[in-house]
Amino acid sequence: MARSMRTCLHSGRLALLAILVSGGIVLQILACALYNNWWPMLTVLMYLMLPMPLIFFLGSSSPSMMSNEGDGWVNFTKFLTGASVVGSIAIPSILKHAGVIGWGALSMELSSFIVFGVAILWLIQMNGEDEYSSAF
Amino acid sequence: MENLALLWGIVGPGVSGAVFGAGWWFWVDAVVCSAVQVSFLHYLPGILASLAALMFNAVNKDEIGYDYYSPYGDDSEWRVKLWLFVAYVVSFVCLAGSVGLLVQDALTDKGPSVWTGVAGVLQCVLVLISGLIYWTCHSED
Repeated sequence: MARSMRTCLHSGRLALLAILVSGGIVLQILACALYNNWWPMLTVLMYLMLPMPLIFFLGSSSPSMMSNEGDGWVNFTKFLTGASVVGSIAIPSILKHAGVIGWGALSMELSSFIVFGVAILWLIQMNGEDEYSSAF
Repeated sequence: MENLALLWGIVGPGVSGAVFGAGWWFWVDAVVCSAVQVSFLHYLPGILASLAALMFNAVNKDEIGYDYYSPYGDDSEWRVKLWLFVAYVVSFVCLAGSVGLLVQDALTDKGPSVWTGVAGVLQCVLVLISGLIYWTCHSED
């Protein structure tokens, strides 16, 4: 593939990724605004913790997330990611269980979570690809 | 089987975090949805379970081996074993405590509801399992 084609495709993918992330944010805010109930914004706390391993290890030369060598801190950030994934599902469910929000807000929250999850997984995969192709 | 061990080393801490979070969020749900004020006694099993999970992960696994020479002298193995023993005792005590509280909640109508008791047991079990999972995966060096 020609070099310009590849960079074009790459920036196209980045743009799509940015659209996904902003879509997730829009869904999250809509879940609160449409029902005039701002409780679901608590989930944003969890979303802040979610991309932590990426932020810490994205550009670094230290063992990446997908490798087995666990530094103590890498393991701990993975632990935090796991906890925040469960937390971002749990907070809307608890709010629904307590009757603070309705089914509509719950489904928008959960779909926002899925959109963020897809975006982050795609980002990890793209990052992995980049390392592979830059070796050539 | 080798691949499985590698995979476990990669996702293990994440799974452990997820299980730990699940345990605590069940408890938060029970406290939020409870009609009566949940007393501090009911919080204790969960807090002690988290403490026990932390305690048995703080152990450096190399220290339990037979050839370990420590700066404290040749017979320091017993310190590590004592630490682990205390952690096990604490975890069993809080398991028993949470089951006892569940039974008590189920019998009386005036205290917290059955869901609070069930969530307490679930919290204890999940937190301890999460500690075990984290222990198995950080030794995959």
